[in-house]
Amino acid sequence: MTDQEKLPEMPFGLNRRQMISGIAALGTLSAVPVRSAFAQKRVPIPDGEFAPLPIAIPNFAAGTPADGEVGAGVTQVITNNLKRSGLFAPIDQAAYIEKTINIDAAPQFQNWKTISAQALVTGRMTRQGDGRLKAEFRLWDVNTGQQLTGQQYFTSPEYWRRIAHIISDQIYERLTGEKGYFDTRIVFVDETGPKERRVKRLALMDQDGANVRYLTKGADLVLTPRFSPSTQEITYMEFGQGDPRVYLFNIETGQREIVGNFPGMSFSPRFSPDGQRIIMSLQQGGNSNLFVMDLRSKSTTRLTDTPAIDTSPSYAPDGTRICFESDRGGKPQIYVMAATGGPAQRISFGDGSYSTPVWSPRGDYIAFTKQGGGQFAIGIMKPDGSGERILTAGYHNEGPTFAPNGRVVMFFRDPGGNGGPSLFTVDVSGRNEQRVPTPGFASDPAWSPLLS
Amino acid sequence: MKVKIDKTLAASIALHVLVLGWGLVSFSTKAFEMTPEESVAVDVVSADQLAKVMAGMKTGKKEEPKPLVEKVAEAKPPVEDAVGKITEKPPVETEAAPPPEPKVEEKPVEKKPDPPKPVAEVKPKEEPKPIEKKPDPPKVDPIAEALKKEEKKPPPKPVVQAVKPPEPTKPKERTYDQSKIAALLDKRDPSRQSITGDTLNSNAALGLAKGKAADNSATWGAMFKSQVERCWKKPYGGIEAQQTEAEFAIRLKRDGTLEGMPVPQGSPATPYLRVYQESALRAIIECQPYNLPAAYFDEWKYFAPVFTERKT
Repeated sequence: MTDQEKLPEMPFGLNRRQMISGIAALGTLSAVPVRSAFAQKRVPIPDGEFAPLPIAIPNFAAGTPADGEVGAGVTQVITNNLKRSGLFAPIDQAAYIEKTINIDAAPQFQNWKTISAQALVTGRMTRQGDGRLKAEFRLWDVNTGQQLTGQQYFTSPEYWRRIAHIISDQIYERLTGEKGYFDTRIVFVDETGPKERRVKRLALMDQDGANVRYLTKGADLVLTPRFSPSTQEITYMEFGQGDPRVYLFNIETGQREIVGNFPGMSFSPRFSPDGQRIIMSLQQGGNSNLFVMDLRSKSTTRLTDTPAIDTSPSYAPDGTRICFESDRGGKPQIYVMAATGGPAQRISFGDGSYSTPVWSPRGDYIAFTKQGGGQFAIGIMKPDGSGERILTAGYHNEGPTFAPNGRVVMFFRDPGGNGGPSLFTVDVSGRNEQRVPTPGFASDPAWSPLLS
Repeated sequence: MKVKIDKTLAASIALHVLVLGWGLVSFSTKAFEMTPEESVAVDVVSADQLAKVMAGMKTGKKEEPKPLVEKVAEAKPPVEDAVGKITEKPPVETEAAPPPEPKVEEKPVEKKPDPPKPVAEVKPKEEPKPIEKKPDPPKVDPIAEALKKEEKKPPPKPVVQAVKPPEPTKPKERTYDQSKIAALLDKRDPSRQSITGDTLNSNAALGLAKGKAADNSATWGAMFKSQVERCWKKPYGGIEAQQTEAEFAIRLKRDGTLEGMPVPQGSPATPYLRVYQESALRAIIECQPYNLPAAYFDEWKYFAPVFTERKT
């Protein structure tokens, strides 16, 4: 959908004074003796506090007079993305000394140092002769005067928001060392109407709450939608006329099919990391066990066979192991076992019960819902069960899902009473909690992989 | 009648007796002896008592024979009251001040590191400031003047032994005008000129500590750390942050600004290490100039700040 190419590094316009100081700096560099020959005092600066990076994002310039609006829009989306991540502190545009700057020239860094910006984004939106939209941006380090990255993209004008998300990801990645997660979508259950007759529809939106689309009409109850990690497909559970069944839904085509034909209820489906298999629970009498179904061959393999309720399976990103919830030890707890079945190892040992485990796409954590003491908390632990950390607690948090970079967890919170649930994000440090805007009540979110 | 004794019972009894008997001996109370510690007399001293104890005496024996010197330059007599900021400019003469007395230079200069006397001496504001040089022609650029100073004949050597404190000379021609009091107040911050000499010699503060120890980096390093931390926006690193470290070699000028770009030591192995190093570099550049003690300039003119997450 979008073409992208690297902007060339900008040749630096040095005036004579800078040149002289540059030469002087070179002189001192060459004069620096070998470290062992002249031991310097090492001054440790430990325990620095994490702090969001102050960044200035002036409105993208308009390539043609008609592009001013889209330039401001792109800037707004980028600013909002970075701010919500909690890792950046965008500086209010009212404080800027320069309001718009030319992307083709090196910025006047002094103007941005004055307002304490450490990074600066400049950009331009231009409508091309063929109707496409060209987006260019550069990311600058204000203190060193270096260009950190620069890209240009071509796209059709209606996708300007996606361009803004892609640029946000570029900035995020360059300044944090992590992949971004802004060019993603969320599938969730949209809830409308009074509490007794709630209409639940499957809905899709951008990660920031824009571009909401409804995927089902709301005649039947839908639950637990899950994104495929590699394709534009989702799987979910729907209560139709008979037992609840697991469905597969293609977002692009709108095509829908039942996954397998099993006696009894099938529920809590999730994709394998390659998107070729679906792992789920099948009800058998009062128990349920885990099964995996290959989507191409339609062959089904049983993974557990216990007189207990095994549910909520989730693959590790390398596909070799799964974590799931089971009450085989009494209360529901989290277990880990090989993806082919076999003995399972319990990893949750805290007070209360643990449910809905989900493995981070980074592989480093498993997120869960923890119930105990009248509270529902969202937490994370390492796959060996150590390092348990509660990210948010209260009445009633549930259903964690990881952003594709494994840094942010989305979940839903239902305050009870006459209200309804809404979506929240919290980063894995538990420090930055944000509400995700949705048109109505919303539950059961699932994060898509990066689109690009 | 023969009592049949269970052998195991007998053995058990015998063993119990043995164990208990042994216990009686070995766990017997030992006299609890305490070697008396030497007592240390402790007195509670109030803050001002302490101040009195620590205060110097003007009539006491001089322990520091060398005059205070903060800047390497042509020696000139130090000013009498060595407090306040160092200023590059000579004090401005206000019209309210009487003309400086030309004889000031011969005045015996008292340069003991004495704290102010317990009873504050109320000095009239108009008291003539000790001026080191003859009055300059008006409109002289202070910098040019400072340069010229190099060529001027050396002022007389400071008189080392203070014979007696100088008598504050009362200006005779003072007239009391209530309406002009406000104008007489000096609204500038306390300031002074740096005291020059041919070698650095700081005896300004805290008794005789002169910073002669081999390593004072604990002092100025902590100052540097607290200053650079204000600008450091440490990127959030999750788990892998725990082993991160970024070292630089930096050269500072006397005024605390960087002489050149900080030189990172080693190239970053991971993307996170790279952004960590970059964030530290930004902080070092942004937070200059650094306010570090001039006495230790030789130590901090070239050193290696290490930004670290390692817990050691």
